[in-house]
Amino acid sequence: MTALATAAAPDTRPGGLLRAVGRTHRTALVLSLLALAAAAVALIWLHSLGDEARAGMSACSTPPTAGLPSCAAVDAITADETYRNGIFGLATALSWVMFPVAAWAGGALIGRELENGTAQLAWTQSVTPVRWLAVKLAAPAALLTVGTGGLLLLNDWARGDGNPNLVGDWYYPDTFVSTGPVAVAYALAGLALGALAGLVWRRALPATGVSLAASLVLHGVMERYRENLWPAVTRTEAGALELPRSAFQVAWSDVPRGGVPLTRATFHPESHFWPLQYVETGLLLAVAGTATAAAFLLLARRLP
Amino acid sequence: MTTTTTRARAAVRPVSPPRGLLLALLRLHRTALWFWLGLVAVAAAALLWALGPGADAAWAEYRGMGCDGGAPDLGCDLPGPAFFRYETTVTVVIGILFLLPTLTAAWAGGSLIGRELESGTAQFAWTQSVTPARWLAAKLAVPALLLVPGTLAITLLHRTLWTSDHHLMRVLAWRAWYDDGVFEANGVLATAHALAALALGVLSGVLLRRALPALGVAVAAMASLTSVLDDLRPHLWPTPPGTPSLMHKHPASHFWPLQLVETGIVMAVAALATATAFLVLRRRTGAAV
Repeated sequence: MTALATAAAPDTRPGGLLRAVGRTHRTALVLSLLALAAAAVALIWLHSLGDEARAGMSACSTPPTAGLPSCAAVDAITADETYRNGIFGLATALSWVMFPVAAWAGGALIGRELENGTAQLAWTQSVTPVRWLAVKLAAPAALLTVGTGGLLLLNDWARGDGNPNLVGDWYYPDTFVSTGPVAVAYALAGLALGALAGLVWRRALPATGVSLAASLVLHGVMERYRENLWPAVTRTEAGALELPRSAFQVAWSDVPRGGVPLTRATFHPESHFWPLQYVETGLLLAVAGTATAAAFLLLARRLP
Repeated sequence: MTTTTTRARAAVRPVSPPRGLLLALLRLHRTALWFWLGLVAVAAAALLWALGPGADAAWAEYRGMGCDGGAPDLGCDLPGPAFFRYETTVTVVIGILFLLPTLTAAWAGGSLIGRELESGTAQFAWTQSVTPARWLAAKLAVPALLLVPGTLAITLLHRTLWTSDHHLMRVLAWRAWYDDGVFEANGVLATAHALAALALGVLSGVLLRRALPALGVAVAAMASLTSVLDDLRPHLWPTPPGTPSLMHKHPASHFWPLQLVETGIVMAVAALATATAFLVLRRRTGAAV
């Protein structure tokens, strides 16, 4: 293409940068689409297994009575084990999306380009550094939001009625992260932390390591302090105290008072699921926003 | 420096090339070296703390709650802050051992081999008195010699903690000997995993010759190996007749048979990966090896 043609049509290809990002990272794109497809197929398959799995968990009696199936027949159903393992495996996979995303963003998306000088080359070609970073962040962020969000909905659908004996209680760390909007927020926080690490270190391998470490710390801290993100309920009773089945127990104490033990239990009832999700999502998006702002500031300061 | 002095020095000190290679390797990867030494120090300090003051404080708290009488009490399943400090400390150590194979594979694939082949510093080194085979041997031997004592020290300390007469985690039944993390931390398996990760990382670096793809493939390979072995573990030694092949159906006396069979498999994978890496390098570099 001659300089004349370029000058004549400066805005006819606004997607050029986007296409360049997609082409450079085609391996990552193909791999993540394959992972997305595999997870979606697995969730659809698990959903189809759901009814049989729930039958394998049903109450039974020996010999069989009018309302209940025989225990031998219920024991013979193995679908519940397969279903449970599948649901738990996908919950873990969904709650760990952040780690590969952060490593890729730090290493391949930003760090390598700054190390090799391909970023600096791109800035001489009709692309401003700010726009370069914006597209590099926006395109993966859009894909991650759609992909993780879609899997989240499929996961909720595959979990059926959410029987805690079959698919785990709502407050299990991986279950909690994989059943609400925090899953998307974790992925976005991973992307932003990776981009920031890439801009700070400007080298592929150290940036990969640092962004992975930062994500591990963030994930671990959130898991440890999740129970403090919303005020818990305290119930005090004399004698034996029984919490509801799906209570997320935070603290428990028995104090003998006048011969009768006084039990004090602090817990989150299941209705705290959404407040806890919203607070954690807000915190993670704040981390992602701060990291993104810091990345743009750093880029602006680095430029002559 | 002139050719004459180089030749003269080489003649006077024939042992200098391996030492030079060793020094170059340690200098190049000094960040990783310090990171590893720091990681071992943190894990060892955490376990020593848990063995001494940590356990004492947690037991004092447990007794203070009247829990050692044997009477069932729901409150005793969830002791106070001293126990949680102890629990968190042991979890951190098990977490370090869990992450070690991933970190080793990533470093070996990306930093140790992939980056050098991508940027051409390896090819440059081969023109300087170091044969490719020797270069690869040093890259495998030095990290292995650093990984083995460090990992063994952590596992020995963990084993001491686990077999000490008052291990809270076992008394409260929060962990069992056959849990993945505990099983690996109590024997030689953690060390075998680290060596297999090194070998798989080196192989993927030699095969892909680029830092980031080698890093990704090495991590994926090691993660698949670990997850396959976790599923396979209960089948590695026969359970008592009439019981299904599940970890909790094994008596505790099966610890060493299970541990040694799995270690054998992991070491075989490591040896195979190492041999393949040497073969690939030899084919690439011709008869110069």
